[in-house]
Amino acid sequence: MGLTSDLNVSVQSLMASTQAMDVTTTNIANANTPGYARRTVDFEETAPVGTDGSTGVDVAAIQSMRDTVLDLSIDAATSQQNMSNTVASSLSAVQTQFSDTASGSIGSSLDSFFSSLQQLSTNPADSSLRTSVLTTAGNLASSFQSTASAITQAQQQSDQAVVQATGDANSLLQQIAATNAQINTAQSLGQSDNSFQDQLSNQLTQLSAIIDFKTVNSSDGLTLTTANGSPLVVGGKAYALTNSTTSSGFNDVYAGGVDITGDIQGGTLGGDIQTRDQTLATMNTQLDQLAFQFAGAVNNVQAAGSDANGNAGAALFNPPDTTTGTATGAASSIAVALTSGSQLAAAASGGASGDNTNLANMINLQNQSIINGNTPTDAFSNLTFSIGNTISQATSSATATGNIVTQLQNQQGSVEGVSLDEESSNLVLYERSYQAAAKVISTVDTLMGNLLDMGVTNPGY
Amino acid sequence: MRVNPNFTADMVNLMDQAQQSENNAAQQLSTGRRVTQPSDDPAADSAMVNENSRSAAVDQYTANSDSVTDVLNTADSTLSSVTTLLQRAVTLGVEGANGTMNQTDLNSIAAQVSDIKTQMLSLANASYAGQYLFAGTATGTAPYVADAANPNQVDYVGNSKQNKVQIGTGLSVTTNLPGSSIFSQPNANVFDALQSLVTALQSGDTAGIATAETSVNTSLNAVDTAQVFYGSTVDELTSNESFLSQEKLNITTYQNTLVSADLATAATNATQAQAVLTATVAAAAQLDQQVNLLTYLH
Repeated sequence: MGLTSDLNVSVQSLMASTQAMDVTTTNIANANTPGYARRTVDFEETAPVGTDGSTGVDVAAIQSMRDTVLDLSIDAATSQQNMSNTVASSLSAVQTQFSDTASGSIGSSLDSFFSSLQQLSTNPADSSLRTSVLTTAGNLASSFQSTASAITQAQQQSDQAVVQATGDANSLLQQIAATNAQINTAQSLGQSDNSFQDQLSNQLTQLSAIIDFKTVNSSDGLTLTTANGSPLVVGGKAYALTNSTTSSGFNDVYAGGVDITGDIQGGTLGGDIQTRDQTLATMNTQLDQLAFQFAGAVNNVQAAGSDANGNAGAALFNPPDTTTGTATGAASSIAVALTSGSQLAAAASGGASGDNTNLANMINLQNQSIINGNTPTDAFSNLTFSIGNTISQATSSATATGNIVTQLQNQQGSVEGVSLDEESSNLVLYERSYQAAAKVISTVDTLMGNLLDMGVTNPGY
Repeated sequence: MRVNPNFTADMVNLMDQAQQSENNAAQQLSTGRRVTQPSDDPAADSAMVNENSRSAAVDQYTANSDSVTDVLNTADSTLSSVTTLLQRAVTLGVEGANGTMNQTDLNSIAAQVSDIKTQMLSLANASYAGQYLFAGTATGTAPYVADAANPNQVDYVGNSKQNKVQIGTGLSVTTNLPGSSIFSQPNANVFDALQSLVTALQSGDTAGIATAETSVNTSLNAVDTAQVFYGSTVDELTSNESFLSQEKLNITTYQNTLVSADLATAATNATQAQAVLTATVAAAAQLDQQVNLLTYLH
């Protein structure tokens, strides 16, 4: 009660308004800061002085409007989107090897090879037609090598990206651990941790683009683990990811001594690993099978006939025969082993120089299921479908998750986003509040002056 | 209800999508294709691989037919020359057998028949593009040679094998007739018949001449009958060509349905995408200039 308490209350009001304007200023300044969640001011009534004193206002808390669940949902969706985008882009260079418009593709080289055999069958003794067969066979071998090389290159690029991403992830993990420590310190001192939480949110979003993770809140603060539970950040400590080269020459990812390579299901890291170890590895194996079994079948037909010199046909392609060799690396090493068209075994065994019986057998390979139950062209067609489908699905998935991310970001914006209109009107509110409190102080000052002047005969004013 | 005050991300997303639509439509218009890479339509592109293969095969069947037709026509016209010669020999034989000629005349006729026999040997050893036509599959060596011990005898040193060439899926034609099925058939050997006529004429044996003339006639008929193979095979190849053209057309039509862009649709899409992009960009620019509360406060 009394002028003094009025004065104190008004001073409190000034301070509260000032604090509120500080928060508004912070919001406006950080409207575009990544990870920033807008803050609001909780005013509360203070305890009255005496039994009937005036009550003042206090800023109880500065609330962050952060919705952590929403933030983490966005991170999870971002992770998926990045993974899909990475898969689609890392495979795009390889699929040019399979385009039906590519004139040097394995499919078109197979067609040319069989055409040259057909042409030879009309005149088996013609040496230039025989040479043509060796030429088309050489082109087919080149097509295999070129496709195998494209696959290997893409794998190596993904591999380099894995190493790069591991490093990037580690630096983020360090930052997250440091932020975590700052949050713990602030909380233990009873101070606001809003800024650190904003930083943490931003760092987690950046990390989600690289790798998928799980979060658990504990007494140590935030615990970050990989999808399968290996620790990444616990409290203020970061557990770095490491790379280890395997026998294939590619880099695996380890977390605390555990190989987590196959468990990474999101982010660019997940995308590159899937491309390198799944899609391209499978394609490589199937391509090798195609090269190996095709070469073996052709070579077998060669062996069953007689060449222009009357000898049993030598192997047309190397790797030579299916009983001793293995398919691994067949596509990158396949080459024509004959040096002269006269070595083609067009005739049946012991046949005359104009005999084309064995050529018919070689030609018929085109329509026989010699590649794991498929014809050679079907086997290639299947590879074309496979890579096209993988990219197409990844692209669709990226678009779909992209839309989800946008939708979630809109939700996030509606909760955490700074509205300049809103802040401006708050500014007006607090400004008026300040002015009103200042007015009260000025009034109290006048009244106190009046009070002091009571009993003074000659006031100085 | 509070809305997201920051619409930039939305705008960027929409502009991206509009731009992507426009790019796709433009590419379809410039390439004329809806599908240019496997990911555009994996099923269609992989089917194209198979269709390209079928198309190449049909092209090759046509090329095979052309090559084989050339060889068959050459052989056919050679045999026409052969039958003409044999008819001449028959006429000479009939002349010699009428019993009115003296030995000098008969010797003169014998010389003509001997000439015919020499030409016959040359025709039987005819070749095309360096390969003998009537040698079976032993096309590198002349099929008919004079016997070492008996120079008047002609031996067949070719084989009786026949080649086949594919002219369609699961369809082949035989491309040659060995000499042993034309000139030196059992009981109808052209050379033996001609030689017997020469010998008979030179000996003046009228009955022998008549017998020899009959055997020449028999061999003429045998060659005539054998020649049918060539004409009928060429006919088969010709009628097959029209079937191949139709098949090629079918394949091309199907390929178009698989991957070609409907240009009218693509053009419409391009226009539409352009309009959407323009509108989105204009809207973004407009919203950027939106006034907010701050401009009203002073």
